[in-house]
Amino acid sequence: MIIEWGWLTTHTDDLLALTLDHLATAVPAVLLGLLIALPLAVVAHRVRPLRGLLLGISNIMFTVPSLALFVLLLPITGLTRTTAIAGLTVYTLVVLLRNTVEGLDSVPAKVREASLAMGTGRLGTLLKVEFPLALPVIMAGVRVASVMTISLVSVASYIGYGGIGQLFTDGFQRSFPTPVLAGVVLTLLLALAADAVLVLVQWLCTPWMRKGARA
Amino acid sequence: MTDLFSQLAAWLTSAGQWAGPEGIAQRLLEHVEYSLLSTLVAALIALPIGLFIGHTGRGAFLAINLSGFGRALPTVGIVTLVFLVSGLSMTPVYISLVALAIPAIVTNTYAGMAAVEADAKDAARGMGMTGLQSLWRVEIPLAAPLIMTGVRLATVQVIATATIAAYVSFGGLGRYIFDGLAQRDLTQVLGGAVLVAALAVAVDLILAGIHRILFRHRLT
Amino acid sequence: MNPRNFVAGALALAVLPVLAACGGGTTSLNTPPSATGSAAAAPDSTMVIGTANFSENQILGYLYADVLEAAGVKTTVKPNLGSREIIVPALQNGDIDLLPEYQGNLLLHFDPKATASDSDALQQALTAKLPQGLTILPPSAAEDADVFTVTKETATKYGLSTLADLAKHNGKLVFGGPPEVKTRQVGMVGLKDVYGVEFKGFKSLDASGPLVKGALKSGGIDMGNLFSTDVDIAKNGWVVLADPKHLIPAQRVVPLIRTDKATDTVKTALAKLNTALTTEELSKLDSLVDNDHKDPDEVATEWVKAHGLSS
Repeated sequence: MIIEWGWLTTHTDDLLALTLDHLATAVPAVLLGLLIALPLAVVAHRVRPLRGLLLGISNIMFTVPSLALFVLLLPITGLTRTTAIAGLTVYTLVVLLRNTVEGLDSVPAKVREASLAMGTGRLGTLLKVEFPLALPVIMAGVRVASVMTISLVSVASYIGYGGIGQLFTDGFQRSFPTPVLAGVVLTLLLALAADAVLVLVQWLCTPWMRKGARA
Repeated sequence: MTDLFSQLAAWLTSAGQWAGPEGIAQRLLEHVEYSLLSTLVAALIALPIGLFIGHTGRGAFLAINLSGFGRALPTVGIVTLVFLVSGLSMTPVYISLVALAIPAIVTNTYAGMAAVEADAKDAARGMGMTGLQSLWRVEIPLAAPLIMTGVRLATVQVIATATIAAYVSFGGLGRYIFDGLAQRDLTQVLGGAVLVAALAVAVDLILAGIHRILFRHRLT
Repeated sequence: MNPRNFVAGALALAVLPVLAACGGGTTSLNTPPSATGSAAAAPDSTMVIGTANFSENQILGYLYADVLEAAGVKTTVKPNLGSREIIVPALQNGDIDLLPEYQGNLLLHFDPKATASDSDALQQALTAKLPQGLTILPPSAAEDADVFTVTKETATKYGLSTLADLAKHNGKLVFGGPPEVKTRQVGMVGLKDVYGVEFKGFKSLDASGPLVKGALKSGGIDMGNLFSTDVDIAKNGWVVLADPKHLIPAQRVVPLIRTDKATDTVKTALAKLNTALTTEELSKLDSLVDNDHKDPDEVATEWVKAHGLSS
C-alpha cells in the first residue's frame, strides 16, 4: 500500500497548522506585491519611457529560479519568514504589474478627461474613476498571482518556511509518499479556495459589473 | 556585494568553468534539453486540447478551470511524489515540467481561438470550407499570435523551473544552485541563477523574433 | 512580453552591481547580517531550537525541547529549517538560539582544514574556532558519523574492506554523497590526501537520503556517503569501509547554543541527555521515524519519559 490513510487521520492537526503557516507566507506576499505594483503601474501607465523598463525588470526577475532567490536573500533578511515573503513578492510583480498597467490602459481617455473636467482632481480621478474601472483586469491578475504564489511557497521549504511544502521535504527524506500526496492535494485545494474567495471579493467590490451583467 | 559581483564575473568568465563534463557549456546544454523536451511534449498535449475547445466551444469552462488548477500544482511536490512512486529517473522531472507548461498553452490557445470573430468563421463556411478546413486555414492562422504567446510563456516558466532536475541528482544549471548552497559557495548559486535567467531571456527573445517574422504582415 | 522591455530591464539590472558597490561586502552565507539583530532578547525568554532537514536532527531538537521544558525553560522547535549552511548563520544572527549539532562536521564548517579527529580534540578545537557569541556544550554519548559504504557485491568484486583498498582501483569507481562531500576534507579531498584515492567521478546526491541509497542499490554509484545511525545499512547488508588513518572525525551529538542563552539551568538540563542518549538509542529513534513513520516530537517525548528525564 503506497498511501497510509491512517497517517492522514492522525495528522489532521498538523495539516491544518501547515496550511495556516502556508497562508501566513502567501497572503502577505500577494498583498505586498499589490502594494508595490499599484504605484509602479501608475508610473508605468503615465510615464511611457519607464513602462518598458519596469515591465522588463519584473519579467527578468520572474526568470530567476526561486530557490536561488531565497538563498541570495538569506544574508540580508536572515532565516525568517520575511525572506520567504520577500522572495515570493518578487514573482507576484510580473503578473500584478502587467495586469494593473493593462487595466489602467483600458480606461478610455474620455472618461478620465470628463472626471478631470468635473473638478475631481488627479488623485481623485485615479482612485475614484481609473482604479475602479481597471479593477476587473487587476483582480484577474491578483487571482493568477495568488494561485502562483500558493504553489511557489513550497520552494521555501528549503529555508524552513514552506508551509504545506514542508511535507514534501519530510516525505522525500523518509521515502514516505503519504505526506507528499497530502501536500499536493492540500496545495490545490488551498489555491482553489483562495481563488473562490477572490472571485467573491471581486463580485462584492464591483456592484456595477453585476448590474451590467444583468442588463 | 561588490566582492560577490566581481567573484561572479570571475566565475562566469574563467575558461575552466565552461569546459568539461561539469562545465557551464554542458550544464547549459542539459538545461536546454530538459526545457525544450518538456515544452515540446506539453505543446503536443496542450495544443490539440486548446484547439478542440476553441473550435467547438465545448468544455471551455472545464478546460479553463482545469488549467487554473494546473497552475497551482507545486512542482517540488510533483517531483517528489513521482520520484517516490516510480523511482529515480528523469521521469519525475519531465512529468512536473510538462504539467507546469500545459496550462499556459491551453488557456492561450483557447483564448486565441475564442477571439477569432464569428464573421471569419461564417465567411469560411460560406466559401464551402468544412469544419476542419476552416480550423486549419482560417481559425488557427488567426489565433496563432496568441498561441505563440502561450508557448513563450510556458517556455520561460519551464526554463526557470528546470533547476528542479538537480534536486533529484540530475544536471542542468540547477546543479550550480544546489551544489553552491551545499558547498556554501554563494558565487556559484548566483552564477547559476544568472545563467538560468539569461537563458530564459535569450530563448524568449528568439521566440519573439520568430513570432515577429511569422506574423509581421499582421496588425495584431 | 515586448523584447524591448527585456533589453531595458537587462540594462537596469546591469547597473545594480555598480549601485551595490556603495554597499557593504557580503560574499558568504555565514556572514551574519547584523551581529546583534534580534539577539538582544533576554536570556530567560523562549529558547528557539532550530533543526536541520533530516529526521534525526529533528528528533534531537525535540529531545532538547523536552528536557528543557522539564527544567522550566520555555521552548519553540522550528523543524526542518534546511541544511547546516542555512541554519548555522541563522544561529549567529539570533534567528534561532540552539541547534543539535555533530562535532566533526561542525568544526569543518568553521575550519575546513581542521584535522582533529577524536572527541576531546574536537571539543577543544571547536571552542577555539567558534565565532564569538556561540558556545558548544559537552557532547552526548551518541554519535552519528559519516561512513563510506559499498554494497556487499562491490566489496567482494574489488576486495574492499578499508578506505585504503580504494586506491587500488583509482579511476574506476564512482562516489556519491551530498554535494559538499565533493569539496570538503571528509570526502573527496581527504580521501585523496590521506588515502591517495582518486575516483572516476562524483555524483551530487543527498545526505543519507533516498537519492544516495537508491543510487547505491541501482549501481549508479559504487560508494556512498551515509550516516552511521542509518538502519538501512544493516538492513541492506552494506559494507562500511574501515578508516585506519582516522580521516573521519568523531561526530558525537553536541548542543550548539548562543552564549547568552546558555544559563546553568539550560546546561544542566541538556547534560542529562548525554549519558542516556547512546548511538544505539539514537539509531532506534531514527528507525521509528524513518521506517515506522512516527512523528519526531512524539518519539522524543516518549523516550524522555521512558528514561525518567521528563521531570
